[in-house]
Amino acid sequence: MSQAGESRTALYETHVRLGAKMAPFGGFLMPISYSGILEEHKAVRTAVGMFDLSHMGQFVVTGDGADAWLDRMTVNDVATMRQQQARYNIFTNERGGAHDDTIVYRLASRWLVVVNAGNSAKMWALLSVDPRKPVAVSLDDRTPRSALIALQGPLSVRLLAPLADVDVAAIKYYHAAEGTVCGTRAEIARTGYTGEDGFELFIAAADAQPLWERLTAAGAPLGLLPAGLGARDVLRLEAGMPLYGHELDEDITPLQAGLDWAVKLGKADFTGKPALAQQKAAGDYHRIVGLIMDGKAPARAGYPVYFNDKPAGDIRSGSPSPSLGGRNIATALVPAAASSPSTKLEVAIRGVRHPATVTALPFYKRKT
Amino acid sequence: MPQPADRLYTKEHEWVKVDGSSAVIGITDYAQSSLGDIVYVELPKPGAALEQGKPIGVVESVKAVSDIYAPVTGTVVEVNGGVEEDPASVNGDPFGNGWLVKVTLADPNQAKSLLTPAAYDDLVRSLAH
Repeated sequence: MSQAGESRTALYETHVRLGAKMAPFGGFLMPISYSGILEEHKAVRTAVGMFDLSHMGQFVVTGDGADAWLDRMTVNDVATMRQQQARYNIFTNERGGAHDDTIVYRLASRWLVVVNAGNSAKMWALLSVDPRKPVAVSLDDRTPRSALIALQGPLSVRLLAPLADVDVAAIKYYHAAEGTVCGTRAEIARTGYTGEDGFELFIAAADAQPLWERLTAAGAPLGLLPAGLGARDVLRLEAGMPLYGHELDEDITPLQAGLDWAVKLGKADFTGKPALAQQKAAGDYHRIVGLIMDGKAPARAGYPVYFNDKPAGDIRSGSPSPSLGGRNIATALVPAAASSPSTKLEVAIRGVRHPATVTALPFYKRKT
Repeated sequence: MPQPADRLYTKEHEWVKVDGSSAVIGITDYAQSSLGDIVYVELPKPGAALEQGKPIGVVESVKAVSDIYAPVTGTVVEVNGGVEEDPASVNGDPFGNGWLVKVTLADPNQAKSLLTPAAYDDLVRSLAH
């Protein structure tokens, strides 16, 4: 296994010491699993899991007009965000396809745009040369000097509350606060990618390793486990959240991905708006659906999908779902006519077609 | 962990336990450990003809699909229904209850082309670094 060319996060040595299975992801050598995907998944659904997400790109945008500028490149509202609010957003191309899906945080006198690791270079290029960027706006890619540790699971608040100097229980979902955790300066965001309650802690790279150790020790009595990108992918798929390159890409629009709620066609002009408005009006577009396989064979990304005995699309993500008792769940991109819940489709697995049923997303919703 | 001495191995991490003209086939401890939690096993049907080096089924973990290659040429006489029902048993006991298929060998001498326990052990050690 060649490890040349991949970057390492500030927690790389920690992952190796923990015996994690490492693999390249988004240009970084990342932990895929530690104790096992099923065990890590269970920790997140029932207790708390801890993730190193330092591979994700962290761009800080400052200066007058930053909000209006971001609004012109994205489908969701930026300027209407209040300080300490976070919002899911998508940067689109002229055809309405997705350059990237991101979370935008409005912090004190700055915006934090968190981009996918695999899109980080593309997004930096896009933003830094954008001719519409106001002269007063500055961009900073702070990724190399930053880290991101996520705590996800129902016991996240119980773990974090005694360690933080702000009332983390009072931070609302998709909001953030600035404070300290174990004495470490952090932007503490109540966001995540697992379908559970949880926090994302944006910190300096130099603080990552000691904070990870402190959280490991404090979390042990609660059942905290380190969790890797393998569990994270299963968790997000169960929660019906898109993964760039699978449910969204330059050729799959947010409408096709079922993210209509994030597409604000009422806001002033933004890149791709005419294409999206046209697509929405026409209505008859291929879209992402949830599938549950009737049988035991897992569906995997790339497998062909059939509707009425004809090729209709392909699987975009697929995995057995521990939260659904091991049933095999998947997403597929299919024609509108094949997208209603209960529609019967077939998935070709190694040349044999297996029945599957369209199911409303998400597959899993936490009890609150 | 040393490899069981009573069988032969492939570079693709299958094991073969030969008994006269028949053999039992499975995947090694290294293979199950690399895959992680195994959730699905797809095996050939009894009577299926196997050709050395050709895929005969798959073992899937939560995130990975791994082909199983026939270590020898022969005919399937029995399939381990236990691992199809409980795929995790391949993780738990890859050299025992986690066996996959029993075959009659087309040519018992063919097994001589496989790796000895010591040679396979060397391979696993080299992969660990």
